Parts: sequence; C-alpha cells; structure tokens
Amino acid sequence: MPQREFDITINKDGSVELHIKGYKGRACLEAAKLFEKIVGETQSESHTSEFYEPEEEVRRHLDQSHGL
Amino acid sequence: MSAVCILTPLVVAAWPAFSAAVVAAASSLGYQVVAGETVETHTTTTQTNVVQLEIARSEVVTSQLGRDQRIIVTRNGVTVTFSRDVRGKASLCVTGEGQSKQELKALGEELSQTVVQQYVFQKLTDEMRNRGFVVVDQEVNEDRSIRMKVRHWEN
Repeated sequence: MPQREFDITINKDGSVELHIKGYKGRACLEAAKLFEKIVGETQSESHTSEFYEPEEEVRRHLDQSHGL
Repeated sequence: MSAVCILTPLVVAAWPAFSAAVVAAASSLGYQVVAGETVETHTTTTQTNVVQLEIARSEVVTSQLGRDQRIIVTRNGVTVTFSRDVRGKASLCVTGEGQSKQELKALGEELSQTVVQQYVFQKLTDEMRNRGFVVVDQEVNEDRSIRMKVRHWEN
C-alpha cells in the first residue's frame, strides 16, 4: 500500500503551504485538487523532479517489460 | 516530494463553525468572549474609536432565524463584535477607548486572520480525519503558523 505524506503549514493569515510527497507523475494533482476543495483557491503550484517520473502503474508495466 | 502548492483560503461556514473559529482565535490571543449569539447595543462616547472590517473571501451561511447572530470578545478595553453582514460576509466591528483607528485596525486584522487560520485548521483536520488521513506530527511555530505532518495509505 503506497504511503503518501503531506507537510501542511497554515500561515497566520490562513493561507496554506502544502508539500505533497510520495507520488510519481501527475497522480499528485488529484491530491492537490482534494486540498483545493477543502481549503480554497490555488495561488501557486510548483513541481519537483518526481512529478515528471512515470506514474506507478506505468512504472510497473515498464519494469515488467524489462524483466525487473 | 512531487508538488508544492500555496492555497488561499475561502471561508464558507455555517454560523456554529464560524463562531467556533472566533472563540478559538480569540482565546489564543487572550481575548475573552463576553456574549455569544446575543444582540447587544453599544453606547459610544466621543473618545471611543470604531473601525469596521470584513473578512475577505468569506460567506457565513445562516438560517433566517439566526440573522442577528453575533459574538463579542474583549481584551484590555478593546471590544470586537463579529457578525454576518447583509451580503453574508463575516464582518467585525472593533471599538476601544484611548486607541487610535490604526491601532484598532491592526488589532482587528490580527484577530480576523487568526479566525481564518483557526477555521482552516478545523476544517482541514475534520476533512482529513473523515478521509482516513493520519496526523503524525503537529506544532505551532514561533510565527504562529501551524505545521502538520499528515500520512495517508492508498490501496
């Protein structure tokens, strides 16, 4: 079962900084949408290198096809 | 880490959730609640300054019966009355004797920001708990920001 981790900082003005960890690829966008639904509008969003890695399902297929 | 987002809060709350955030914020800043959900008439003197503020991006949902709901908190001679204006926005009236309008405005903004912070904290905590997220660490930083580390296991 994949573990997802979220570092959340609620600033004193109520704005929220959200660091989403443990996702490969665009799957983290779904998590970001969930927090947007709870908190409010997304003011800015940046992606780390993991965002551009293949998603887990794609990666499993790739590993299988390469006999890993 | 795969993404970093900054979110601007929207306060869309029923009166009970909003007043709970007011009480939590007021307590954390040393204010005392003097009246809840009661209409009070203020008598003002010429020395008393009054500042009217509103909480941006807020909507307090209330029933027809609860239109005059308000909550009043005080600290060191400053009185802040939270209510819902005719457009449904959360508003606050800050009054105090011997305080300039700028000082009252600063106090009101500090309190209203803390109300938004407490509202977001409560909403996030409730929604995450309902979705099976686990808060593994939580602390209040020196700058009064609240930091939480949350985990979720997906099937």
